[in-house]
Amino acid sequence: MSHHRIRALVRLLAIAGGIAAPALGGGAWAADPADGQAVYKSQCSICHTVAPGRNSIGPTLFGVVGRKTGSAPGFHYSPANIRANITWEPATLDKYIETPRAVVPGTIMTYSGVKDATKRADLIAYLETLR
Amino acid sequence: MRPGAASITTIAFLLALGTASLLGPASAQPAPQARDIPQSLMVEHQETLARLAKLVERPPPVGPQARKVLELYKQHTAREQAFILPPLTLLLPMSEGKVTPDMRWAIPMTDRVRAEQEQIYVEHATMIDELNLLLEAARTANDADGIDFAQTAAADSLNDLELLVPMVLVIGDYLHARLPPAQ
Repeated sequence: MSHHRIRALVRLLAIAGGIAAPALGGGAWAADPADGQAVYKSQCSICHTVAPGRNSIGPTLFGVVGRKTGSAPGFHYSPANIRANITWEPATLDKYIETPRAVVPGTIMTYSGVKDATKRADLIAYLETLR
Repeated sequence: MRPGAASITTIAFLLALGTASLLGPASAQPAPQARDIPQSLMVEHQETLARLAKLVERPPPVGPQARKVLELYKQHTAREQAFILPPLTLLLPMSEGKVTPDMRWAIPMTDRVRAEQEQIYVEHATMIDELNLLLEAARTANDADGIDFAQTAAADSLNDLELLVPMVLVIGDYLHARLPPAQ
């Protein structure tokens, strides 16, 4: 059975057993930064680098966990992102990555969102390594 | 524009034309007038279409994914050319301080852009989803042109939302403020 299938099965069993979905930290399964890096490459890298200080179409994702919205040095943010006043912790990132425009109305990050909770958890686990 | 919305619009337009022809010339409504868009944007659209047409010819996985992007891009640019970009042709005369009643044609367009901002955003987000897939396909195929196209198109998408759409909205507000309501 593949790594992905095992994780999906563990998740299913956790949900079936009434365990709160532990998408973020301390859950029944561990998010995988390596899988998260693949999610980053396929979903985020078109606009974001992970290099320190290197902004692109979007701000660098290096150091994003723990950073406040609208605060990456050298990046010109939309007013919506500046106003949002959110600190990007795993829980806030999870909601934002799922539905960006719902969390920051008016954001011009043109992205529909990652709907798969496991992929989001993996992605956030990867982002947490970028320090 | 989503295919469903495009189809409904097309059907409504054809029905309107059909009704007008049945009623005869005396009561026929004038067809919506196509307006120019800034030449620089016209050239940009043509170049994008040409690059995409070349990518469509590539073998899988790039070619089929490029075709999806191409279809989406055609729908998107049709809407842009219909009502988003034409008001931008007024920027030059407005920058010279000229606001004249014959510019009133742009007001319904800018009003529509304001009303459809969310849909415009969704279109761009959908485009980025497909460009992500194209980027992935191009990386798999080690296709440098495909990679460059996807990344450049993503930047263009931001340009639309960061510059072009806000400019159109400002033009609309300015025209509303400077031109008295039509009699």
